[in-house]
Amino acid sequence: MILVIAEQRDGRLNRATWETIAGAQQLAGQTGAPIAVLVPGANAGGAAKELAAAQVKEILTLEHAALEPYTPDGYTAALQAAIAELSPAHVLLPHTYQTRDFAPKLAARLDRALVTDVTGVKAAGSDAAFVRPMFQGKLTADVVPLGPAPHFVTFQIGAYRADQAARGQSPAPVRALSVNVDAGAIRERPEAPFQQARQAVDLSQAERIVSVGRGIKEQANIAVAQQLAEALGAEIAASRPICDAGWLPMERQVGSSGQTVAPKLYLALGISGAIQHLVGMKGANTVVAINKDPDAPIFEIADYGIVGDLFEIVPAIIEAVKK
Amino acid sequence: MKIAVCIKQVPTREWQPRLNDDKTWIRDQDASFEMNEPDAYALEEALRLKEKHSGEVVVCSAGPARVAQVIREALARGADRAIHVEDDGLASADGFVTSQALAAAMKDEQFDLVLTGLQSDDQGFAQVGVILAEKLDLPHATIIMEVQAESGTLRVKRELEGGWFQWVAMPLPAVLTIQSGINQLRYATLKGIMAAKKKEIKKVGLPSLAAGASAGKQKIVSLYLPEKAKKTQLIPGAPAEAAKELVRRLREEARVIA
Amino acid sequence: METVAFWILLLAFLGAFAAQVARRVQLIAAAPATISIENPAARASRFIVDVLLQARTIRERPLAGLMHALVFWGFVAFGLYTTTEFLRGLGIVDLTHTGWFRAYRLLLTPFAIGVLAGILFLLVRRTILRPVGLGTKVSVESVVIALFIATLMITFLLTFRLDEASPAGRVNWWVHAVVILVFMALIPASKHLHLVLSPVTVFLKSPELGNLPNLDFEKEQVGLETVKDLGSKSVLDAFTCVECGRCQVNCPAWGAGKELNPKAIILQTQEALLAGQRERKLGEVYSEKVLWQCTTCGACENQCPVGIEHLPILIGSRRGLVSNGDAPDYLGAMYNNLERRSNIWGLGYDQRTKFIQSAGLEIFDAAKHDVLVWLGCAGSFDADFQKSLRSLFSILRTKDVKFGVLAKERCNGDPAKRTGNEYMYQELANGNIDDLKAAAPKTILTSCPHCVKTIGDDYRKFGYQVDIVHSSVYVEQLLRSAAAASGSRDVVTYHDPCYLGRYGGKVDEPRALLERFGADIKEPQRNRDNPYCCGAGGGLLFADKEEEPGSRISDVRFKQLQATGANTVVTACPFCSIMLKGAQASAGADTQFVDLMTFVDGKLTKA
Repeated sequence: MILVIAEQRDGRLNRATWETIAGAQQLAGQTGAPIAVLVPGANAGGAAKELAAAQVKEILTLEHAALEPYTPDGYTAALQAAIAELSPAHVLLPHTYQTRDFAPKLAARLDRALVTDVTGVKAAGSDAAFVRPMFQGKLTADVVPLGPAPHFVTFQIGAYRADQAARGQSPAPVRALSVNVDAGAIRERPEAPFQQARQAVDLSQAERIVSVGRGIKEQANIAVAQQLAEALGAEIAASRPICDAGWLPMERQVGSSGQTVAPKLYLALGISGAIQHLVGMKGANTVVAINKDPDAPIFEIADYGIVGDLFEIVPAIIEAVKK
Repeated sequence: MKIAVCIKQVPTREWQPRLNDDKTWIRDQDASFEMNEPDAYALEEALRLKEKHSGEVVVCSAGPARVAQVIREALARGADRAIHVEDDGLASADGFVTSQALAAAMKDEQFDLVLTGLQSDDQGFAQVGVILAEKLDLPHATIIMEVQAESGTLRVKRELEGGWFQWVAMPLPAVLTIQSGINQLRYATLKGIMAAKKKEIKKVGLPSLAAGASAGKQKIVSLYLPEKAKKTQLIPGAPAEAAKELVRRLREEARVIA
Repeated sequence: METVAFWILLLAFLGAFAAQVARRVQLIAAAPATISIENPAARASRFIVDVLLQARTIRERPLAGLMHALVFWGFVAFGLYTTTEFLRGLGIVDLTHTGWFRAYRLLLTPFAIGVLAGILFLLVRRTILRPVGLGTKVSVESVVIALFIATLMITFLLTFRLDEASPAGRVNWWVHAVVILVFMALIPASKHLHLVLSPVTVFLKSPELGNLPNLDFEKEQVGLETVKDLGSKSVLDAFTCVECGRCQVNCPAWGAGKELNPKAIILQTQEALLAGQRERKLGEVYSEKVLWQCTTCGACENQCPVGIEHLPILIGSRRGLVSNGDAPDYLGAMYNNLERRSNIWGLGYDQRTKFIQSAGLEIFDAAKHDVLVWLGCAGSFDADFQKSLRSLFSILRTKDVKFGVLAKERCNGDPAKRTGNEYMYQELANGNIDDLKAAAPKTILTSCPHCVKTIGDDYRKFGYQVDIVHSSVYVEQLLRSAAAASGSRDVVTYHDPCYLGRYGGKVDEPRALLERFGADIKEPQRNRDNPYCCGAGGGLLFADKEEEPGSRISDVRFKQLQATGANTVVTACPFCSIMLKGAQASAGADTQFVDLMTFVDGKLTKA
C-alpha cells in the first residue's frame, strides 16, 4: 500500500498534504496500490475528518505523547513503529521543513531508500521512477529507489496542486493507530514556535515581493503597490531612489547596497533594471516586470513582462488575483 | 569545543552541465568547482563558535582527489585540520553512501558538534546531515539560523515555513544542518592561504571503512535537460486582459501564487 | 674677525642642517627599497617640464603658480651669487669685484624683483585670502620663511644703494648672510625641505600613475601593515610635501565631505616617521575608515607638483588590512562574488553567453579577426551597457572590421587590486593572461577604461604585453574620414572617465568624435585630465549603503554636470554611467544619459 504521512500542527492541516495525496494518486495509477493517509500528532481528529474527503482507502490517526510537540527523535520512533505495523510499499511525504528534519533519519533507521524533492512520477520499466530537479534546476533526473520496501519519497511543495487530489464519492473510514514508543528517550526539547517580531524587515526570507521603482512617480502612488502586496501576501520593497527619497525605509531597499532577496515571486513595478538592483534580486525564482519602457533592461531577465502603464495594469492584477 | 564541518565540493553555479554518454551522470572533467554554498555558511558558523568558545574546527569531506581544493579553502578561512575520505566513486554517490563514509571516518574523533549545510547545490537531496546524525546516534536539528552553545547544551533556532521560527534545546554532542545566509562569510586572507599550506589533511580510503556499509540506495536512470528554456514571456494586450493572463500563468505555469 | 665669526656660524648652522637631514635620510635608508629609475627618458622630460618649467605648479593655480615660479627661478638664479658671497665671507676667495660678477648682479635684478613680487603675493594669499587648500591655521613657519625671502631680496637690492664698506653696508651683508644660514637650518624641519628633495622626488616618481607593483607571495609579502613597511619612495615623499593642498582640493572624497584628505595622509605619515613609531599600525595612523574612502581616481598624485605618489601608500595600506581580513563588509561580499563567480556582480555567465548569441558575436580567432573585443563585466552582465556595445558592434560592422570575443572572460582584477586584495587579483589576472596568450590577439578593443588600464598596464608586470585600446580612441581613428555632421548641434556635456582621461591621457579623441558628429560640448569645470570622479572606483561602487544620499561623490559630480546647462551627459565608461544614473535617480532629475558609442552610432546610421 502507499502510505501518505500528513502534516498538521495544532489541528490545522498543512495544504501540502493534499498535494502529496495528488502525487500518491499518480503513483497509485501505476502500481495499483491502495492509499492510506496517516495523521500524526495531537488533535489529529479534525485533520483526519477533512482528509476523509479524499479518494483514498483509509485515514489513520496516530496520537502519542512522543508526537507532541514535534521532535525528530519522537517522530522517527513513532513512525518507525507505525510502518512496521502497516508494511507499506511506499511512504510519501510533502517536502516541508518538518519532513526534511526527520525523514532522512527515519529512512536511515530502517536502512531504506529516500528520494526527496520529487516533482512527478513516471514508469521506468516495471519500477516507478521519481522525477526531480538537480544541479540547481539545470538538469532533471529520473530516480529509481533501490533495495527492499518501503521506499520513501518526498514531494516538492507546489509540484502538485492541492485541488488535483481526487475527492472520493463517500468519506474514507478513519481509525486510530497506537504504537509503543518511549517518549522519555527523546533528546530534543523544543520551545513554542513563534513568528519573528516584525520590527526588523527581513526581505531575505520573503517568499513573494512587490518592488517599486521610479516608475511609481510619487510617494502617494506606493499605495497601489501595497494593495497588490496585500492581495498576494507579499512584502513591499523598492530600488534605491525610492529609499533615498525617504518614500520607503532603507530596510526595504533591494540591491547591491541593500538587501539580497531570493523569493519565489518578484514583481518589479516601474523598475528599469539597473545592474545594482539586479544583483539584489537575481536569486528570485520567477520575475515579473511591469514597465512602460520596452527597452528597460529589466525585461532581459524577467520571466514574464507587461509593457504598459502600471497604474492601469496593477489594479487589474489585484482584481484577477482576488478572483 | 571540537567542531566538525562537513563540506562538499560541487560544480560552480554557472557551469553548463554536460552529460556523460549513458546520460546517467554529468561529465565533470571540464567543470569548475567550488565549495557548496550552505556548507560555506556552516564553516563560518563553526569558525565563529571556535572564536567564542575556543577549540578546534575540523573539516571533513568525502570525494575524489579534486576535493582537496575546497578543503584547502576551508583551511585558509581558519579551519585547523581536515579529514578527506578519498574515492573516485564518491563523486556521484548518493546521500546514504556519503553519510556512511563520513560517519565511519568521524566517529572516533568524539566531536562535540557537527555542522553541515542544509543541502548540496548539486544533488540537493538534503539528507546527509540528518543521516549522519542517525549513524553517529546523535540528536540533531535542521535549517538552523542561530546557534547558542553553553557548557554541554545546545540551543538552536530552527527556521519554519512562513516566517515562523522555533528554538530547540538538546544535549551535546549533536548535529546541525545550517541554513544559507545566516552570517557574513569571511574570505580567505592572504595570511590564511599561506598558513593553510602547513595544516594537516588526513586521508582515509573508502574500503577501510567498509564493514556494514550498504550500497547506494538509489539509481539515476536518466538525466536530461528540462524542457522549459528560460525566455522572457511578454504578455500582450490591453491592461485588463494582460493582467488576467499574467495571473493565470503565475498560478498554473510558474505556480508561485495560489 | 668677521671671517672667523662667519666660519663659526656657517659650521654651526650647517651642522644643524646636516643633523636634521641625516635623521630623514636614515629613515629613508631604513625603509624597504621602492625607488626605481626605470624609463629615465620619461622621468627626465617630466623633470624639465614640472621642475624647471614649473608647469604642474602653474596649471592648477595659474596666478599663485606663476608667482611661485618666479620665486623658484629667482632661487635658482641666485645660487651662484650666494656661493660667491659665501666664499668671500669665508675668506677663501673674493670674486665679487670681477667683471662677470658685476654683470651677473645686474642680471639678477629683475629676478629679485620677480621674487619679491611673487613672495609678497603669496604671503598675502596665505595670510589674508586664506584658500582652503592651505589649511585652517596660518602656518607661522611659512610666514617666517616668506619674510626671510623678502628680506634676502631687499638686502640684495640694497647692495646697489649701500657702500659695502660702510657700516650700513656691512650690516646689510650680515643680515643677508645670517638669514641664509638660518633659512638653511630651518629647511629640513619644515616643508621647505622640498627645496632639496622635490627635484629628486619628481625624477623618482613613476611615469605610470598609480604604480602598484605586484606583491611577491613567495617572499610572503602582505602589503603595508605598520609604519616600518612604508617604502623608501613613500618616506621620501612624506618629507617633500609642501602642504600646498592641491591633492586635497582635487580629491573627490574630500569634495563630497568625507574624512579622507590626501594631504593629511602624507603629513600623518611624516609625523609617524619622525616620532619613530615604526611598529604603529597604518590602519591606526590614517584611521581605517578613511583608507576605504579612496576611489583611486589619481587626482592627488596627478596634481602634486613635487612628485608625491599617494596611491602606493593608500592602496598599500589597504593590502595590509585585507591580508589580515580587515576589509569592510561590502568588499567581503564583492570578494566572495569574485571568488565564486569571477565577477563582482556574482552573476552567472549564462547571461554573457546569451548576449553573445543575441548580438551575433563570433568567438575570437586570430587568423580571422582584426581585433578582440573584451566585453568586461559590464559588457557581460549589464543589459544597460550592452546597448552601448551593440552600438559599437554596429559601428565596427559598418566599417567592415572583423572582430570576435573570448569564449570566457573573468573580471580583469581591477576591483581586487585597487581595494588591496592582491591574491584575488593575481588569480584573476593569471587566468586571463593564460586565456589571452592562447588567443594571441594583436589588438584588444574594449569600452571599459578600467579594463584598459589593468590589462594594458598592470598585466605588463606579469610579463604580458598587449595593445589594448579604448573604443573612443579606436572609433575616432576608424571614423576619421567620416562626413562631418551638419545642421543643428546637440548640446551635451562630456564626463571624462578618470581611468581614461587621467590615467590614459585620452581626452581629445572622445571630443573629436563628439564634435565630428554634431555635438556642442559644454565642459564642466573639472574635465579632461582632471575630471571629478564619478565615485565608482576603489570598491566604492558598493559602498553607497554607508553614505547619506546627497553626500555621495556621484551626487557631487552629477550637480557639476547639471551646472553646465546641458541636459544630456555623454559617458565613456560603464561605471561612470551606473554611478551618474544612480545620482540622477536619487536627485529625481530628468537628465538624459548616452554612451559615446551610442551617440556616434545614432548619427552614423542617419547619414
